[in-house]
Amino acid sequence: MEGEAEAFCCSGCAMAYDIIRGSGLSRYYVEREACPPRPEPASGSWDSIPLETAPDGSVATRLVIDNLRCASCVWVTEAVLQRTPGVLGATVSYATGRAALRWDPALTSLAALAGRIAALGYRPRPLGAAATPDRDLTVRLGVAAFAAMNIMLLAISVYAGWWDGMEPRWTAVFRWATLVLATPVALWCAQPFFAGAIAGLRQGRIHMDLPIALAVALLYGHGVLATLGGFDGFLDSLAMLVALLLAGRMLEGRGRRRAAEAALALASSLPATARRETADGLETVPAGDLRAGDRIDLGTGEEIPADGVVLEGFGQVRMALLTGESAPVAVGPSSPVVAGAVVEVGALTVAVEQAGDDTLLRRMARQLGVAADRGLLPTLADRIAPEFTLATLLAAAVTALVWWRVGGGSVALAHAVAVLVVACPCALALSQPLAAAAALGATARRGLMLRSVEPLLALGEIDIVALDKTGTVTGGTPTVISGADDAIRIAAGLERYSAHPIARALLAEAAARRIPLPAAHGVVEVPGHSISGIVDSRHWSVGAGESGEICLKDDRGGCSIIRLGDRIRDDAPRIVAALQSRGLRVALLTGDHAEVAGAVAVQCGITEVVARCGPEGKSEWVRARQAEGHRVLLAGDGINDGPALAMADVGIAMGSGAAATVLVADGVVAYPALGPVLAGFRASDAARRAIGRNQRRSIGYNVLAVLAAALGLVNPLVAAVLMPLSSGMVIWGASGVERTVRREEAL
Amino acid sequence: MNAVLILLPVAIMLGAIFAAMFVKATRDGQFDDLDDPPKRILKDD
Repeated sequence: MEGEAEAFCCSGCAMAYDIIRGSGLSRYYVEREACPPRPEPASGSWDSIPLETAPDGSVATRLVIDNLRCASCVWVTEAVLQRTPGVLGATVSYATGRAALRWDPALTSLAALAGRIAALGYRPRPLGAAATPDRDLTVRLGVAAFAAMNIMLLAISVYAGWWDGMEPRWTAVFRWATLVLATPVALWCAQPFFAGAIAGLRQGRIHMDLPIALAVALLYGHGVLATLGGFDGFLDSLAMLVALLLAGRMLEGRGRRRAAEAALALASSLPATARRETADGLETVPAGDLRAGDRIDLGTGEEIPADGVVLEGFGQVRMALLTGESAPVAVGPSSPVVAGAVVEVGALTVAVEQAGDDTLLRRMARQLGVAADRGLLPTLADRIAPEFTLATLLAAAVTALVWWRVGGGSVALAHAVAVLVVACPCALALSQPLAAAAALGATARRGLMLRSVEPLLALGEIDIVALDKTGTVTGGTPTVISGADDAIRIAAGLERYSAHPIARALLAEAAARRIPLPAAHGVVEVPGHSISGIVDSRHWSVGAGESGEICLKDDRGGCSIIRLGDRIRDDAPRIVAALQSRGLRVALLTGDHAEVAGAVAVQCGITEVVARCGPEGKSEWVRARQAEGHRVLLAGDGINDGPALAMADVGIAMGSGAAATVLVADGVVAYPALGPVLAGFRASDAARRAIGRNQRRSIGYNVLAVLAAALGLVNPLVAAVLMPLSSGMVIWGASGVERTVRREEAL
Repeated sequence: MNAVLILLPVAIMLGAIFAAMFVKATRDGQFDDLDDPPKRILKDD
């Protein structure tokens, strides 16, 4: 924008530009990586949103902002809000799309702030319920880590006393100090493990929390006895163990919370109120009170609060949230409409069929919530927990019995406790979550957001990669392939006020060729058919030609053709080749003609093409391959790919696609590229190897350590060294995931 | 060596004060979002 002529598609954009420049933020135009979409009318009522009032009279709330595309979007939104008079604080999170606002209600209002966000082209909406991050776990981890480090310091002094000699009363002081520090760790920080173990037992299941809880309880009991009785306990190992396990649990929880937040954001995206027709006119009711059979009125710019059928009126409705299709759809009497769609133009009376939790949007959001919960499938550590617990208890009992015969009660107790300490499956419990978190982080940094651990591991079993054509292998938006400068200039001039994808393609081409747009007069648009008007004192009309081209007609019957097409993504040939060299069979699925599909396939080096393949065709094809014993990954973007994505062993949605597609998918590609899919395969391989290695090592460690303890070789010092060593080994193994992926990328 | 009798409780108390500050910071939301603040410092306004 700097130094260039300023052209705006509409008054809204001009207004946004004025706000940004007026706030002294022109740098946004230099820095932005992606352009925001057109401004949309802000919808819903801002008065019904719950606000928190602070003692100083300021109020605060949180909003979801849709359409934030890059870090610059976050910066400009924040800066504009912060420079609005009356705003005391505004922060926007790129990762979650949340804005936290605090303002002085005497100077401004939420509606005004939302208006400013909307004027920038982003879409603010109320947040359903606050999803607070797990602060409780963070606090427990912090306290446990603090105690563990201090206990280590004390323990080192006591162990040093073994060699240098220490007066018994000083040893006692240090032991008591250790007990003081270890008490909150055992009784409070470790509480999640006790809760987990008890919950498991109530359901009649033994999982990994049980041996951990047992070890903690036993270590603490033994530590109290040791402090009272004046001998060495294992309280230092206890604190370290709890801190490490809490750290592992927190890493695990972060990934799951992201998915849950996505579900919440979607569920809260319905408007809060609706205008219902009653015998005596219209009344405004909360959207949740709508019932099937109610009649509601909707006007231009409003969001539809429930699923239903149009009774009266005509208009255009945009269903981008559900279908990913940004062009509005014309509706009239008896057309179905869905909650979450926006009335672009028109006035409609709609008969409600499903409201609130029964709407398609909410049902999908619930599915996502369920999918997020599914991340809790048992790991190997959980599966072997019963045998593990039993074996540990048995080993401790045998040790106690043998040593009791040999050396009497106190020796037997010391060795039996040592067995239980070193048997604590800390490293084993950490092995999968750590490696998986490392791999999910590695894929996320490369643009593939996977829902949970399962799809990550499932990637390793995949042998067929099926790619949808439009929007996956290709860019998915029409671009101008050929056309004369003159024709582009006039067509773009006519289309400059249209929101249609073809208009955007023409405008983008005119900008790329640096053609200044001419003034157009008397422009008439017939939606879905043609657009006409006067440019350079001649009358022109632009309409669709035969196939994938548009035709610019002048008043003398002349016609020039502008060809439009869908270009393949720049990295497609390279990624397809890399996938094939991994031994994967790559197939192209498309609803298009064989001719078009074939051309795209040749360009990217794909040999297997399934053309003329509708939504059922795609899922049928996936099912057929699965029946042959193959494991299929499908990457697609449209609502049409939804069923096939759900059917595939791993379904990956292109991020630009429909929200519905994103919901059923196991992962989302965040950049307009295919590369992240390949990164997913690499990270999956690295993670599977790291997990296997970690599990073998930690089981090996446990077996050897238990044997050593049973032989009476493990005293508190040895345990205090072994425990963090075994966990450190697992952490080192997990951090190898990123190194492995980098090495493969460098090849 | 008797100094330990005073220093040890003092050290633990000091540590406990920092732990309490950490707990307060966490409850105030300091660690809720670890992704954005590192990006924010790159914006110089």
